[in-house]
Amino acid sequence: MRNLTPHIPQLFMIVFLLIMAITAVAAGIPSMRLLNDSMIRLAMNGVLVISLIPMLNVGAGINYGLPVAISAGLLGMSIAVNFRIEGLIGFLAAVLFSILAGWVFGCAYAGILNRVKGREEIAGIFIGFSFVFLMSFFWAVAPFKNAAMLWPIGGKGMRPTIGLTAYFEKVLNHLWAVQIGELILPLGLLAFFGFLGWLVYALFKTKLGLAILAVGENELFARLAGININKTRAYAIILSTVLGAVGICVYAQSYGFIELYEAPLMMAFPAASAILLGGSMGRKTSVFHAILGTFLFQTIYVYTGPIANTILVPEVSEIIRVILSNGIILYALLYEGRGKTYETN
Amino acid sequence: MLKICGISKSFGNQEVLKSVNLEIPPGEIHGLVGENGAGKTTLLNILFGRDIIRHSGGYSGEIYFDEQKVQINTSRDAIELGIGMVHQEFALIPNMSISENIRIGREYVHQPSEKILGTALALIDKKQTREEARKILQKLGVNTDVNLKVLDLSVSLKQFIELAREISRENLKLLILDEPTAVLSREDAQAFIKIVKEIAEKGTAVIFISHRLEEVIAVCHRITVLRDGNIINTYQRDQFEINRIAESMIGHSLNRASRPRRVLEEKSIMAFRNFAVAMPGELIEDLNINLYQGEILGIAGLSGHGKLALGKGIMGIYPTAGHVSIGERILDTSNSADALSQGIYYVPDDRRETGLLMDHSIMENIIFTALQQKNRFLKPSLFSLMSRIDYPASTTYSINSIQTFDIRCQNIHQKVSTLSGGNQQKVCLARALAMEAQILIVSEPSRGVDIGAKARILEALSRINRELGTTIIMASSELDELKYLCDRIVVLYEGKNFGILSPNDDDLTFALAFSGKRKEELCVI
Amino acid sequence: MRQINPVPIIFLLLFFLSWQYSGMSFIFVGNEVITRFIRDGVMVLALLIPITAGMGINFAVTIGAISAQIGLIAIIILQVEGFKGMIMAGLLALLIAFFMGWIMGLILNRVKGKEMITTIIIGFLGNGIYQFIFLVGYGTFIKALNTEIMLSRGVGVRNMVDLAEYRNILDNIWVFQVGGIIIPLFMIMLVISFCLVVTYIMNTRMGQKFRAVGEDMEVSSSIGIDVDKTRIQAMIISTIIACFGQLIYLQNIGMLNVYTAHLNSDIFSAAALLAGGASIKNAQVRHAILGVFLFHSLFIVSPQAGQNLFGNAALGEYFRSFIAYGTIAIALVFNLRDKAPGLELCINTAELTTSGGKDCR
Repeated sequence: MRNLTPHIPQLFMIVFLLIMAITAVAAGIPSMRLLNDSMIRLAMNGVLVISLIPMLNVGAGINYGLPVAISAGLLGMSIAVNFRIEGLIGFLAAVLFSILAGWVFGCAYAGILNRVKGREEIAGIFIGFSFVFLMSFFWAVAPFKNAAMLWPIGGKGMRPTIGLTAYFEKVLNHLWAVQIGELILPLGLLAFFGFLGWLVYALFKTKLGLAILAVGENELFARLAGININKTRAYAIILSTVLGAVGICVYAQSYGFIELYEAPLMMAFPAASAILLGGSMGRKTSVFHAILGTFLFQTIYVYTGPIANTILVPEVSEIIRVILSNGIILYALLYEGRGKTYETN
Repeated sequence: MLKICGISKSFGNQEVLKSVNLEIPPGEIHGLVGENGAGKTTLLNILFGRDIIRHSGGYSGEIYFDEQKVQINTSRDAIELGIGMVHQEFALIPNMSISENIRIGREYVHQPSEKILGTALALIDKKQTREEARKILQKLGVNTDVNLKVLDLSVSLKQFIELAREISRENLKLLILDEPTAVLSREDAQAFIKIVKEIAEKGTAVIFISHRLEEVIAVCHRITVLRDGNIINTYQRDQFEINRIAESMIGHSLNRASRPRRVLEEKSIMAFRNFAVAMPGELIEDLNINLYQGEILGIAGLSGHGKLALGKGIMGIYPTAGHVSIGERILDTSNSADALSQGIYYVPDDRRETGLLMDHSIMENIIFTALQQKNRFLKPSLFSLMSRIDYPASTTYSINSIQTFDIRCQNIHQKVSTLSGGNQQKVCLARALAMEAQILIVSEPSRGVDIGAKARILEALSRINRELGTTIIMASSELDELKYLCDRIVVLYEGKNFGILSPNDDDLTFALAFSGKRKEELCVI
Repeated sequence: MRQINPVPIIFLLLFFLSWQYSGMSFIFVGNEVITRFIRDGVMVLALLIPITAGMGINFAVTIGAISAQIGLIAIIILQVEGFKGMIMAGLLALLIAFFMGWIMGLILNRVKGKEMITTIIIGFLGNGIYQFIFLVGYGTFIKALNTEIMLSRGVGVRNMVDLAEYRNILDNIWVFQVGGIIIPLFMIMLVISFCLVVTYIMNTRMGQKFRAVGEDMEVSSSIGIDVDKTRIQAMIISTIIACFGQLIYLQNIGMLNVYTAHLNSDIFSAAALLAGGASIKNAQVRHAILGVFLFHSLFIVSPQAGQNLFGNAALGEYFRSFIAYGTIAIALVFNLRDKAPGLELCINTAELTTSGGKDCR
């Protein structure tokens, strides 16, 4: 018989979703629109979640230092906006700059994480937090010239939120969008998301991918096979960072704003709980886990919003999300810790 | 004092203790000897209520202590019964002082604070605690500042502090000593043993474990030999004979077939010069041997004498000194990639920990090293790191391997963790074959493998050697299989090359060599 | 040959530089630091015992803070006034803190080796549930006995609750001035008495067990210490001290910022402790005291320094947040560097073993 204990959060979520769906129908909230929303939110947040996979598989745990990657993406987008590159080209330019920034940040991040093997998660949290404030410092003095990005008064320092309407707001969402009845299929967005997912899937069918999995599962084995552990870990961490940087680009174009300063602070936690909800058990996390988890997690967010508004307590949606995401992470920690005393002996 | 009846213990599906019975009267020093994996440590862990036993499902059987049936679940239970243990790996808190370590949990406290706040929150009387610790150490003949941190002390002093902690317990009735003299110099060991004898004379029962057989014979009143989880024999004082005990530790199996000897050209392909490996508990020192092209060289010796360290040293798992050369080239022993590039391949003894990717398929395990090191099984690509795995080629190769090695499985995509020990070992050998190794180093190839699979593994090694011309170094604790396969057998004693024996030498010669003696020295005992 | 920890010196230098640029008077900074010492000192002490017990920084001191706030809000809802209310709030808060500490101890015993990340998540989760209870629950599933503190929409407690009844009950005892610096002697002694309590606990049998368990759980277990129980005790004591800390903090401020007062109590306390020279594995009362002074003095002057230096006060705030998180990050990176397995053996052992063997033969 299959053991269901690791799937308790998933089952719970599905039941919770069903209740939400019934409530939504009963409250007369149009369900097609909600479905649409959850599809867009899946692709919008999904890349950030997928970006966790290389680090999970190399054994560096969940990348709670996601703000480092997000900062790289924000920098990449800011550069694109600074040069006023518009439309799809603008978005692709932003992605390109983000990849470069992500690669640089990733190298430094990997260097630090290789010094704290086995404790990457806790170190990552604080590296991410402190990096956000370091970047805040940078945003306040950054030498960008486009007035749309700067404080209207004084013209110095970046705004906390930069509207992307004039640049690449929703370019992916609108690319190849097909309307079927009330349902709008954002094919361009889904294709881009699918492409990145395929890339990560294909990675683990290569020499490097196999080495990453081996290092994650058994470092001593990998060492005996002549694999350079630190280098392999660094590759995985850089990959995660680059993907995270691209992830925030996808997120921002869909959201319509670049959010700077303290906005990235807590972004790692919903992503972490999404991948855990998808059934990731640390090593050997697949793209499927990431997609399933993101879908479940974001759909709940989509459903709770309108319902919370109906009962006139708008904060409830955010609060429930905080409770759920942290509850899932805590459950995963407890589940992972079970019977560990035996293994370590 | 202590009586154990039918104690059995399994880890997963591996049975490490099989219905063991043992009785130790008060005041007896009882020796417990056996090879690595014989079940000594597990038996001690049960007696001392170590966590690992409870977390792996407890034990079965009965323990009687002072005629009372007892259940020992935690070390706390054991200590309360009056069982003390001197641990091989030191159960001391490094950043605490000597006196704190000796009296831990039993510190002297200021009486008024104890009356008001209870024992847990009573203020410790540091002066008296120090004083008592000094007294007990003085009794052991150790004069040292009890305020020193244990961290900074020599290993021999640590050993005495552990002993001091145990004998300072008022209710000590049974003392377990796990390899207590391994880290002591000769003088210290004698002093230690003298104290142990005194303790025993006062009526405390002692269980004494050591890999120095002379010592066990000199100290103990009776000796029990464990092998593969069974008690092989219990010897009385008048039956003590070092070679008999050594022989019963190694054991005989029915398969005593011999193979035709061959004469090999003595052409050295690999040479060890002053080679030393710092593997804890298995040190190799000052090893000088040549490996001849095409031979199977056996490495024998009791556990703790270094036979497992050779491969690990060459592959850079432990620090080494001296050098290893292949022809003219000196090997970089800090990096396994160098050894692999020179055609050396190592099959480790701890399959589960280092030998296999347990969560991956048979195929992935077979192709892994060759894929990473030789770019085999890859589709051509611009960047070798990003080249994709050639699944058709890998599948064909793996299916061939399964047939060659007779790996019993459903298909090549089965996870290796679901295979039996013997089949796992065959997967390891298949991986070695994919590497087209020139020199194969195998460590304990038949450990944890059932009899049928054992024969096939040995047969496979023999074929690799004779048909492919691969030179093999084979370390094993099973003398029979070494004798069956090897051309020469190096016996390691205390980490050094004691001598190179022929597989035709008799068991007595080997048994003596294992305990560091030659036949001509026999009369000396 | 004791190593000098460079962290306090760096903080001192940073403070000195920022102070020079801030142009603040010594008396102003002095008064502020004393206030911060009273407000935050006890919370920092709450971190010491879990560190000693090897569980790292207890980021779930926020749970202790939340317990204190629940106690206070409950008394305000029940409308018990004056000194009696204060005592009742305190008792209720301690009861909740004890219970939460016990639960957290149980949880942390299942996640050995990952305690810090777990306490962070527990803190976030606890915060979420706390918000849910008072922002959504009050007026729906909790009967609103006191409508004064209710939001105008009829559900939820207001963001700000006035603690006028209890404000500065203790602050004004034994206050005197020395050259412009106001010294509330009673409060200082209160904080110092907590220092003494923690020091005392460290010198009891229980304290020795904390130390032993913190050094090595396996060894502790094999010398007869109940490791799990000891760790639970550490969490309970820590949570209770944190609860006391928040009570002192709130009575000093006199206002309860229902949804934000407890936030960041963990980060700032941890950063202060580390600033005082503690590490993730070793923290003493003196580190806590020194750290509170160093960290908070830097905290007071940095926004003004940012304003004067760059014409932007926000820069100073980013800077101090960066310092707070960065201190913890650096401590984690340097304290948690792993030892390479297998390399820590000593050749001396080898020589002893073999020579011993030779002699015996």
